[in-house]
Amino acid sequence: MPIFRWEQSWNPLRDLEREVDRLIQGVEFSVQGIRMPRQYPAVNIFELDHEYLITAELPGMQAQDLELTIANCVLTLKGHRNPPVIDDGQISEERFRRQERTFGEWQRSISIPDRISESNLSAEFNEGILKIHLPKLEEEQPRQIPVSSGE
Amino acid sequence: MNREHNNEEPHEIVHPEQYVFTPPIDIYETDEGLVLYADLPGVSVGSLELQVQDNKLTLLGKVEPQIPEGARSLHKEYEVGNFLRSFILSGEIVHSRIEAKLANGVLRIFLPKAPKAEPRRIQVNTG
Repeated sequence: MPIFRWEQSWNPLRDLEREVDRLIQGVEFSVQGIRMPRQYPAVNIFELDHEYLITAELPGMQAQDLELTIANCVLTLKGHRNPPVIDDGQISEERFRRQERTFGEWQRSISIPDRISESNLSAEFNEGILKIHLPKLEEEQPRQIPVSSGE
Repeated sequence: MNREHNNEEPHEIVHPEQYVFTPPIDIYETDEGLVLYADLPGVSVGSLELQVQDNKLTLLGKVEPQIPEGARSLHKEYEVGNFLRSFILSGEIVHSRIEAKLANGVLRIFLPKAPKAEPRRIQVNTG
């Protein structure tokens, strides 16, 4: 699809037109190529016969600190990961020899297919792995309509 | 809050043994010793091996596949694999009293320091 059109274009401008189109499309292409920061948590999504399954790694979370909500085919995962404490107090920075883990609030929304039985969603959290089961809506069975003869 | 597992290209479902990850850790020091935390999502008490040999502490967490049989991958952002990391312990750590606890995919290891020996007076006798 041409994006740029010269008003009242005539032949000598066609090459320019094509060139500008090519440039604009090139720009769009490179914008799509920019790497967006990764969202937390990373999720994997699987399809099974009777359900969709979403898995996420959330080490150090407690089941009660996880909040899952669903509205308008958008599933939202929310939580807060607390850093370790000594005697209920924060560990001072100078005690740390190494700090590679991250803590704090996080939230992620995932679009899900509309043929989901939203009322039958279930989730389990074991060993830092969250699994969300999204059962598929049962397909409506074709209904036979009896035809009686008009006698 | 990100843990880069691998490159970001989508992958086919592969056997988990093909991936070995270095788990992120925190280490802090207390008066009694060192406390080490490692994020090991998917590792259970039965699938974790902790070993101290000479002055090297090695942790190996095996992770079972999280996907039921017959599942089709629609979207993949992380890979599943085992966790492996080792640490050199300083000489002051008492190996026999190392304690470890695993909860919600986080391992906590306590590495106690040997108590400082009281200075002992050595009697010098004349010959």
